[in-house]
Amino acid sequence: MAGYRDRLEADLERWIAEGLVDPVHRDAILADVGEPRRLDAATALAFVGLALLGLAVVAFVASNWNGLPRAIRFGLILLAFAGAVGGAVWASARRREATRNALLTLAAFIFAGAVGLTGQIFDIAGDPRASLYGAGLAAGLLALAGRSTGAAATALVLIGAGDLSDEIGTGWTWLLPAAAAAAGLAWSWRSALLAQAAAIALLVGAGRFALASGAPEQVGFALSLAFLLLAAGARWAAEREEGVVAATVYGWAVWGALGFFSASGSGEVMGGAPHRLALLALASAAVALGRHDRHGMITAGGVLAFFGAVSAVLFDLGLGLMSAAGLFAVCSVLALGAGWALRARRPAA
Amino acid sequence: MRAGEPIRIGAAGAALGLALLGLVASEGRARANGREVALPMEAPDPRGLLTGQYVELEFREALPEGAPCPPGAQGAPVGSFEGMRPAWVALHSVGPGWRVAGSAPTRREALRLGRVAVRGRASCGGDQAVDLDIGIDRFHADQGEAEAIERLLRNRRPGEPVRAYALVSVGRDGRARLNGVQIDGRRVELDWF
Repeated sequence: MAGYRDRLEADLERWIAEGLVDPVHRDAILADVGEPRRLDAATALAFVGLALLGLAVVAFVASNWNGLPRAIRFGLILLAFAGAVGGAVWASARRREATRNALLTLAAFIFAGAVGLTGQIFDIAGDPRASLYGAGLAAGLLALAGRSTGAAATALVLIGAGDLSDEIGTGWTWLLPAAAAAAGLAWSWRSALLAQAAAIALLVGAGRFALASGAPEQVGFALSLAFLLLAAGARWAAEREEGVVAATVYGWAVWGALGFFSASGSGEVMGGAPHRLALLALASAAVALGRHDRHGMITAGGVLAFFGAVSAVLFDLGLGLMSAAGLFAVCSVLALGAGWALRARRPAA
Repeated sequence: MRAGEPIRIGAAGAALGLALLGLVASEGRARANGREVALPMEAPDPRGLLTGQYVELEFREALPEGAPCPPGAQGAPVGSFEGMRPAWVALHSVGPGWRVAGSAPTRREALRLGRVAVRGRASCGGDQAVDLDIGIDRFHADQGEAEAIERLLRNRRPGEPVRAYALVSVGRDGRARLNGVQIDGRRVELDWF
């Protein structure tokens, strides 16, 4: 498969032929990129061997788990955690960022498992929700200590699991402040992955908050406005940022605005024709905005919201096709008219 | 690599490891210093007794014929939303075991009803029995112990003497911690080895 260097070599040849690049600089450019790291067969086999050894150890321990004294079981858990953290320390000292990130993520998962297993080993009765929050905080601590996006994402997953483990629900969700903190870290560390996780966590937390609030339609409408503001702010930031963090948040914020606005009209309080018309307008605007900003996720969100609005209209009208045809014809005329007006205003090329 | 990053990672890992050790040590100390009470065990569902490597426990006492529900235990059933409010359960000694003497919203009020007050909830069911929830619902055991407990719980008929007890330590904080179980007078305690 062609890597970056191979594509660069091909491009350089073309640019030299077109006179865009001086042939004298060819070797220097390729030397600056360097040779890609290739995994030789010996190294690959070593990785496979280590992975199989790890699986053998895990299977052996699991099969003899109940026969081991409690102190030994607890010691093994601590040893596994210490191994992951020690490996992350080693990787950090040798500037192996990917390895450090992976080992800190592993350490976060091991600690989460350790909390549960410690309770099982010593018959410590505890609140499962508190255990998940505690494990989430631990993952967050590891993330901050080692700038690990994986551990930060793990923290979001654990805190989210803690929120969702409460069957009754109190309205408050710890996922919301956690997601905000993760978004801040994503911005600081310029991590698109963490930005995605933070945005999704924000949506999930907001959804849980709305469901547990006792007034989901009204809260959903308020949240749609909040996400609209967030989208506007993220769009403003994306125009000034070189990375993709703000653009990622922008896309998910638009999804949040559309989603919560759609959900706010699902009941009798805020449902009805004005809501459906507004949703159709918002969906169309999202499609246009996505095309204008070249943001595929926003375009996709607009399309989905449009389908949702159409389905809601058909449902409201009792699947009356003539009524639906009339309504959509009116909307079509409006949309086509707006598009024609915009094109007419565009200056001649 | 940023300056001090390996040290920060090591320090965070050490702090978390010490936190786990501290949790085990503090629970062990609280368990050792608490007051032990023996609670008769029931099985909620014989089919679900052995799940993995733990025995599900339920604390449920049959009330004598015509006996009233203990004071304070007439509230909402254990496990319902209304039954989730924090409360204290008073216990008094009856023969080899301890029974529910009543329930109260504060520890002081509970101690007026019984000698030991433990955090939890008690409520009377419609079948002349008292359900007790003190946060302990399972006991992890090896295969042999779990099967022995399962046989005892499943084969016990109403009215027969209780042969299986949960040994619970009630700490100064009022929390119940499992010390072990007692089967036909034989103690199986939780220890490190």
